[in-house]
Amino acid sequence: MLVLVAALVMEVLAPAFHYHQFGEPTRMACDAGVSALFTCGMVFAVFPTIRAFRREVESGTLEMALAHPVSRGGFFLAKAAGSLVAYFAFAAIVFTTSLVTVAGADIGGRIAAKTGGVARLYGPCFAAALAVPVLSLVVGAALNRFARFRFVPSVFAIAAVLSAAGAVWFVVPTIAARMFGAAVPVAISATIPLAAAAAFSVRFKSNAAASACGIVVALMLPAFGNYVLSDALSGGGRVPWSYVSLVAAATVPAVAFFLVLGAWFAEGEGSR
Amino acid sequence: MSIENRECVVALDGVEKVFRDFWLRPTVKAVDGLSMQVGRGEVFGLLGPNGSGKSTTIKMILGLLAPTRGSVRLFGMSPKSVGARARIGYLPELSYLHPFLTARETLRYYAGLCGLGRREAADRVTQLLNMVGLADVASRPVGGFSKGMARRLSLAASLVGKPELLILDEPTSGLDPVSTKEVKTLVKSLASKGMTVLTTSHLLADAQDICDRIAILNRGKIVAEGRVAELGTSLEEFFLATVGDAESFELADFLKR
Repeated sequence: MLVLVAALVMEVLAPAFHYHQFGEPTRMACDAGVSALFTCGMVFAVFPTIRAFRREVESGTLEMALAHPVSRGGFFLAKAAGSLVAYFAFAAIVFTTSLVTVAGADIGGRIAAKTGGVARLYGPCFAAALAVPVLSLVVGAALNRFARFRFVPSVFAIAAVLSAAGAVWFVVPTIAARMFGAAVPVAISATIPLAAAAAFSVRFKSNAAASACGIVVALMLPAFGNYVLSDALSGGGRVPWSYVSLVAAATVPAVAFFLVLGAWFAEGEGSR
Repeated sequence: MSIENRECVVALDGVEKVFRDFWLRPTVKAVDGLSMQVGRGEVFGLLGPNGSGKSTTIKMILGLLAPTRGSVRLFGMSPKSVGARARIGYLPELSYLHPFLTARETLRYYAGLCGLGRREAADRVTQLLNMVGLADVASRPVGGFSKGMARRLSLAASLVGKPELLILDEPTSGLDPVSTKEVKTLVKSLASKGMTVLTTSHLLADAQDICDRIAILNRGKIVAEGRVAELGTSLEEFFLATVGDAESFELADFLKR
């Protein structure tokens, strides 16, 4: 639902982005897309992960699972891997939505130049933006009613397909390539608080785990300056892949540390 | 009470469990110097009032909690070992199920945790759904199941890995008489096939119906132990006759109620 709302807001605002170029057409849309990935990504990395772990503990399903022949550490790592997959699916949806928004800003700008004003664009843009979630909800409900498909996953899958189709249809390849380079380091960086959320939620209750993740994000703050890639993107620049590799190389040990910590917490849980 | 010449499946020796708070200060001693054995093929009942330490004992046997003192052995191994847990099935006090999964998906999930292959899991799941009478509702999400249906599904989940030892924590808890009878019939049928069963209950009639041997737990200690067939009287009278000290009078009083 968060993705759908974000998509709606961003796509409705797309025409207005054209009037805030900051030195480059569609720059604000590009920045908004990457920023959405960053802020929503951090939130999505932390809270659903904590919920996924704590719900297992509090509902008792963890107890039931651990009575089976699985190691606690292995079970923790498998759940953390599941959270990572869910997070990257989320990041992919946000990214394709951003691409559609950028394309919308670009097309909106061109139409506005011909028609002489941006105001006329809001109606069609709003209708188009609303069409994605509404169509997803309607088709999802029909699949649930007639084919017994799960409602929420169906809606997400349809929204993802529509966004991806929109991205493929409208997006300017050069802008997409540049945004991808900027988005990858941002998406990778959010895996650190995700792994921390998984580890802390094994030992602590939801609020304490969220607070501990807040500390991790605060410790990452000095490095966030490196993720402000607007300057690199402005004037047609690209984020070099060597930089992306550097971010990945810095992220992997931190993620590994939290996963090992979480597995250790999981193995020791019950000893107290 | 000996397990005669039976192979020892569960052995607890001087087990103590003290729960601690965040600062590691002791808060409650749930189990206090508990020693007992369960032999292969037995149906053993661990009885006692709420808060007597039954569930804590079960969780230590399952390796979900570690004892503060003493030792717990399951098939001669540590209960934390995957090898030991591959030989047990566990039915918790409440039916802990993922509400959005169907009955079939739930059993497939647990079959996966038991390491069953795809085809073997499918066959086993179908067999268990038929056994617990849920084949007709196999495609329904378990969130909409009645308590009795959820209990039967949990029992099926505990049997997915073809366990040698079945551990049941209050198997008839919160069930109506019909569902209680169904669960007891299932347990008796499993026991008649040679499965070892360790069950907890605070319902004496249930224990008398299904158990070979029982132990009474109160405030973390065993206060009475005996073979049901040798009682020569009802379980309630057995308690009144065997339990004599002041603390146990409290228990006997509880049991009367």
